[in-house]
Amino acid sequence: MTTTETVKDTAGDVFQPRLVAFVCNWCTYAGADLTGTSRLAYAPHVRVLKLPCTGRIDPLFVLKAFEGGADGVLISGCHPGDCHYSSGNYHARRRWAVFRRLLSLTGIDERRLQFSWVSAAEGQKFADLVNRITDEVRAAGPFDPSNPARRLPWK
Amino acid sequence: MEIATKLRADAAALLGDGRVKLVIGYAARGARRVPVFISEAPKVEVLMWDATCRQNLAAYLSKPDLKTLRPVAIVASPPVMRSLVVLASEAQIEDGSVVILGLDESGYHGILDLGKTVELLNAVCKGQGLDREILGRLEQIRGMSPQERAAFWASEFAKCTRCYACRAACPACYCARCIVEKNVPQWISTAAAAHGNFAWNIIRAFHVAGRCTSCGACQAACPQGIPLMLLNVGVTESVETEFGIRAGFDPDAKPAIGSYSLEDKEDFIR
Repeated sequence: MTTTETVKDTAGDVFQPRLVAFVCNWCTYAGADLTGTSRLAYAPHVRVLKLPCTGRIDPLFVLKAFEGGADGVLISGCHPGDCHYSSGNYHARRRWAVFRRLLSLTGIDERRLQFSWVSAAEGQKFADLVNRITDEVRAAGPFDPSNPARRLPWK
Repeated sequence: MEIATKLRADAAALLGDGRVKLVIGYAARGARRVPVFISEAPKVEVLMWDATCRQNLAAYLSKPDLKTLRPVAIVASPPVMRSLVVLASEAQIEDGSVVILGLDESGYHGILDLGKTVELLNAVCKGQGLDREILGRLEQIRGMSPQERAAFWASEFAKCTRCYACRAACPACYCARCIVEKNVPQWISTAAAAHGNFAWNIIRAFHVAGRCTSCGACQAACPQGIPLMLLNVGVTESVETEFGIRAGFDPDAKPAIGSYSLEDKEDFIR
């Protein structure tokens, strides 16, 4: 992690990004659980939020996360064909294909919004993924508080 | 005034024999063009149409006060027709409850049902692409750094007073309870602050993804001059390139967001 040394936050300390992961109950959450039970160490910056399905993840959740100070958001669910509800991840895939471009157009760095399929057996993939995304968001730097997507702190 | 004469005659006939309860059309008030709602045949004389009639009258069809006044006749140029097709595909128009008085710059097309409107649209407008000037500006914005884009939109969204004129003018925004009025939980802040404006404008644009026909009514209605069409055309362009879907040409179309294909691209998913 070469970026760890170079990117500093406003206080001059090493920048520790805040990541929010919206994951589905059946695949990625189980995969993330496997990462833990397998004792795989990974970057500790991610807050995992479990939802029934990627199809349940409303774009408003992402906006709310950015508004509340997330530096990056990960959305992860079952591989195509594996959805517990048979089609939730297909619906999600369509929604995100459009929404991520809209957010990019309005000034949110594409590195800050990431998507993946992680199955219940892919504990190692989840660890690697979080490490990589942490690096990428760290390289993108702290999410500018003056970005219109952010809630400004009380003065 | 060839168009107006034929239009008035048809409107009077429809109202006269009770085929419709109401005619929604345009009238001139000085240099301005305003919507009119006519329920008696003798009053059709105010009806007119020219290329400056840009307001999308299809937005009125879903207003609670007018929903009960069907069958209704509506003066419709191609952008309005496309909105009507979207409404039909979303089961907002019952069969035969909306009579279309079709017209465009080439002339008056007479009393049309939905089927004939779709034929006309596919013949006349299917080949038309998105607005080139807007696409050019989009390319410019996409060429900026994320910080520059954020600064551009920060200054635009800062003007927003959350009057929701964009929503009121849009035929696709017909939810009886809009997300922005739901406050348990409050997803979109109503505070006069940047983050609420951002969330509102993004969600408005996303909720009409694959349904927007680029008629421009929202931007024309915005009292603050926010370039909403940049967002709408940006989204519409994504929907076209990702899924090959153009809204407003097929009354049997499935919603672009809300349906899926096993072949959808997923190059952005790890």
